[in-house]
Amino acid sequence: MSDSPATVRRARPLLGTLVEITAAGPDAESAVAQAFHAVEQVHGLMSYHDRASDISRLNREAAFQPVAVHAWTWQVLAAARAFSEASGGLFDITVAPTLTRLGYLPRHADFPRASGHADWRDIELLPQQQVRFTRPLRVDLGGIAKGFAVDKAIETLQAHGISAGRVNAGGDLRLFGPKAETVHVRHPHSPSLLLPLSELRNGAAATSAGYFAPKHVGGRQISPHIHPHTGQAVASGTSATVLAADCMTADALTKIVLADCPAALPVLERFEARAILLDRDPNTGAWRMLDSAHQEKHCA
Amino acid sequence: MRKDLIWLSVPALAAAALPAHAVQYFTLEQAQHALFPEASGFKDAKVLLTADQREAIEKASKVRVRGVELNAWRVEAGGKVTGWFLVDEVYGKHEFITYAVALDATGAVRGIEIMDYRETHGGEVRNANWRAQFTGKRADAPLVLDQDIKNISGATLSCKHIADGVRRLLASYEAALK
Repeated sequence: MSDSPATVRRARPLLGTLVEITAAGPDAESAVAQAFHAVEQVHGLMSYHDRASDISRLNREAAFQPVAVHAWTWQVLAAARAFSEASGGLFDITVAPTLTRLGYLPRHADFPRASGHADWRDIELLPQQQVRFTRPLRVDLGGIAKGFAVDKAIETLQAHGISAGRVNAGGDLRLFGPKAETVHVRHPHSPSLLLPLSELRNGAAATSAGYFAPKHVGGRQISPHIHPHTGQAVASGTSATVLAADCMTADALTKIVLADCPAALPVLERFEARAILLDRDPNTGAWRMLDSAHQEKHCA
Repeated sequence: MRKDLIWLSVPALAAAALPAHAVQYFTLEQAQHALFPEASGFKDAKVLLTADQREAIEKASKVRVRGVELNAWRVEAGGKVTGWFLVDEVYGKHEFITYAVALDATGAVRGIEIMDYRETHGGEVRNANWRAQFTGKRADAPLVLDQDIKNISGATLSCKHIADGVRRLLASYEAALK
């Protein structure tokens, strides 16, 4: 997209990162303002930190009684369930207690103590957008809501008649319009270096990696990505980028690829997505890249 | 049985790696008018913070005050003060951000816009000579790179630094503008 006078490009701090929105077309300024508004709305509904969000209400009350949520929150919870089912639980929004223990999420004194046995299957989606937990648990939509917010912003731009647009929320990117653009990813070992990964046109790309939030726990460097089956943090230094039609799918699938790459291949196929993984060869220490499009097909 | 995964080596790709990028979203005037479209004037109200004021700001915001200047404008509309326009900078590990904060007449945040965003090589942002290269070079900044670097996929810590900056500015308003 060229930065012609009809192109508007703005950035604001939202969703715990910088959200950049670009739009070309008539009245792009007001379309961009509305798109930011959609992102703010998602932020307000799905923030783990904000005590008034749908997510905080669920974490406080849903173990005791059904809680009604906004249609968007419902949509994301339903999508999260689909990703959990498709991946045999490799994607799981109930890992919040582990993230709290490791210091990635704040402690909320009024949230009930979480059961050590709860997982995504304990979240019941009831009629009329109501949600109930069958075990005490805590959900965090950090692995999926950012992608959803990007999708909502894109939909807003399209509804305003924008001809070409792009939304980038620190690692979650979606664009539409006539031109293809190159997606870059930070080198996991040297985040100031950018590697060109792939061309993208009318689609989304999301990257998850531990390089900006590493911590040392028990002598091991870890990242804020928890393997749902082991409760262990996935080692930092690996970066997973997923290309998909929408950003919520791309965002969620990065978590599955980071948790278990071979198991993620059929899931990627099912959601018509492609993953590019960067990590270090455990034997030689050399940096290497895996492209799911270059693997043998795994028929379901 | 599961087939072995096919991996490619990265060094060949790393050769194409590019170092940094920069974007200007708003000039000063553009940011003023975007945040206060109704304004009839912006009166320079820059403050040189005293040691006492800096101490009060640090105590109230829990954020270190590095600069002595508070870049503030009093915003007027319809013959009255309608709010305050503040410009500030924050440095992260990999980024250098200039942003504007609009406060209403009561001192509440009305909007935040990023004005400039610059990516850096890790350590350079702390180096005074490196930072000096930006002085007076807003419009023709040498770090504006080609088109296709824009789509950087990868999270940053920018937001926390801006949140801290806004807290510091709100305390500065209380200590020096109110």
